[in-house]
Amino acid sequence: MSTVEERIANAPLPTARTLRQRRSIPVQLVRFASINLRMMRMIRRGHSAAPH
Amino acid sequence: MTRVVVLGAGVSGHTAALHLRRMLGKEHEVLVVSPNSQWNWIPSNIWVGVGRMGVKDVTFPLAPVYRRKGITYVQAKAVAIRPEGTAEDPHPSVDVVHTSPEAGGKTERLTYDYLVNATGPKLSFEATPGLGPTGHSLSVCTAGHAVEASEALQQAIAKMRAGERQRLVVGMGHGTCTCEGAAFEYVFNVEHELRAAGVRDLADLVYLTNEYELGDFGVGGMVFQQRGFQTSSQTWTESLFRERGVRAILRAHVERVEPGKLFYETLDGAHESLEFDFAMLLPPFKGADMQAYDRAGGDITSQLFAPSGFLKVDADYTPKAYDEWRASDWPSTYQSPAYPHIFGVGIAFAPPHQISVPRKSPSGTVITPSPPRTGMPSGVMGREVARSITDMIRSGSVQPTHHASMADMGAACVASAGTGLRHGSAAAMTMYPIVPDHQRFPQSGRSLKDTYGEIGLAGHWVKHLLHYLFIYKAKAKPGWYLIPE
Repeated sequence: MSTVEERIANAPLPTARTLRQRRSIPVQLVRFASINLRMMRMIRRGHSAAPH
Repeated sequence: MTRVVVLGAGVSGHTAALHLRRMLGKEHEVLVVSPNSQWNWIPSNIWVGVGRMGVKDVTFPLAPVYRRKGITYVQAKAVAIRPEGTAEDPHPSVDVVHTSPEAGGKTERLTYDYLVNATGPKLSFEATPGLGPTGHSLSVCTAGHAVEASEALQQAIAKMRAGERQRLVVGMGHGTCTCEGAAFEYVFNVEHELRAAGVRDLADLVYLTNEYELGDFGVGGMVFQQRGFQTSSQTWTESLFRERGVRAILRAHVERVEPGKLFYETLDGAHESLEFDFAMLLPPFKGADMQAYDRAGGDITSQLFAPSGFLKVDADYTPKAYDEWRASDWPSTYQSPAYPHIFGVGIAFAPPHQISVPRKSPSGTVITPSPPRTGMPSGVMGREVARSITDMIRSGSVQPTHHASMADMGAACVASAGTGLRHGSAAAMTMYPIVPDHQRFPQSGRSLKDTYGEIGLAGHWVKHLLHYLFIYKAKAKPGWYLIPE
């Protein structure tokens, strides 16, 4: 079993393009809408919870 | 007239009180007992802890809100519940000790028809010798603690600017801590501040945790479906640690903290130590120190409360092996089985067991995150219990009508990883359900469609939006109830 140091050292590293996209205003505006839609769907689904 | 007493004015209690007031007629009284005069949006304490927000940005006084909404407010700490009343008065009651500057220390007995225990956690710094602001480490659990952490961080940054290397340790101060997400969030905010100050290369930043693996977050980790692959929150989190150059120490129980040095035991039984210049370590949580008495004055605390001090509710508390844990063990109405007019919500209810796999070191030390039940789930519980109580008052029934099991409820966790509307970042995660249900979702225990994580500036905007929305909602401004919990 690898240690946490080894796992972190071998973890996927984001590419320069991914890092740019994480900061790109147009891309992030789309992601912002997407995250909010996901949260709203989860709220609708989970917050009207029926007994299991 | 019916009187509903809510103990605690955190996310759960405050939400319950506002909804009760909205739904119940004026002939009924809603009374809130809270030792704190201020409401605190605790998730934003992270930003106070790095100096990006002040105390006033994350708190506001409760009294004016309650006065405007017609909620009776008593600034006091509940110390005992008498669900059968006393020999003199059979009406159920709560003993409180006032904490306001005017009436501090005065005791009072408040009667109730329905009681909502939303007392939140007792920050149990004493569980680890030397832990906490009165010891040798820092905290961001309260806005005041976060200010102290921010000041200490600025001192560390000043030393680095003078060329002195510093080791900053952020994480969990005990093997049974919860809220790993908060420590995760704080360590990446600190990392962001160090970079912004131009001293990152002089800092050894360490995340020390009781999690078995990174990305556990006290919920046993998550499986995400992204770009045609299933990936784990472990790989996802490790990637962020690699990108930001943060070291991690896992499976650790902090045994004691001395000035500049902490000692910890790991799951394999090793005893290690780590020197530090700055340490923000969260405490484990306990239930509020409350006693319970029957009509004759006999102690029935163990009937109402678990040994941890959390209120026993409609969960299955039968001790079971991990393989036998079921989603249905988790409570859904939060009603006390002993006294149907008492409910426990938010952190105050006793969970049936952990969510993460339970583990002990060879010497028997439990090193497993406790289940998180803060934020979104706390608010939902408060609202659903308010709905049940409203229906019970109207119908005269003792049967709750609304359910909010954490095994049927989703949650969003937005962990800021740096501030700034153009340069900030955050790890935004959603999961459904919070408690994995392997019967419904055999693959990973959760819906792959609704369990998701991503990193980017958008998450930071979401976190900002939630900050302003929830403070608006907590202030009960027009339309507050349209904002979901």
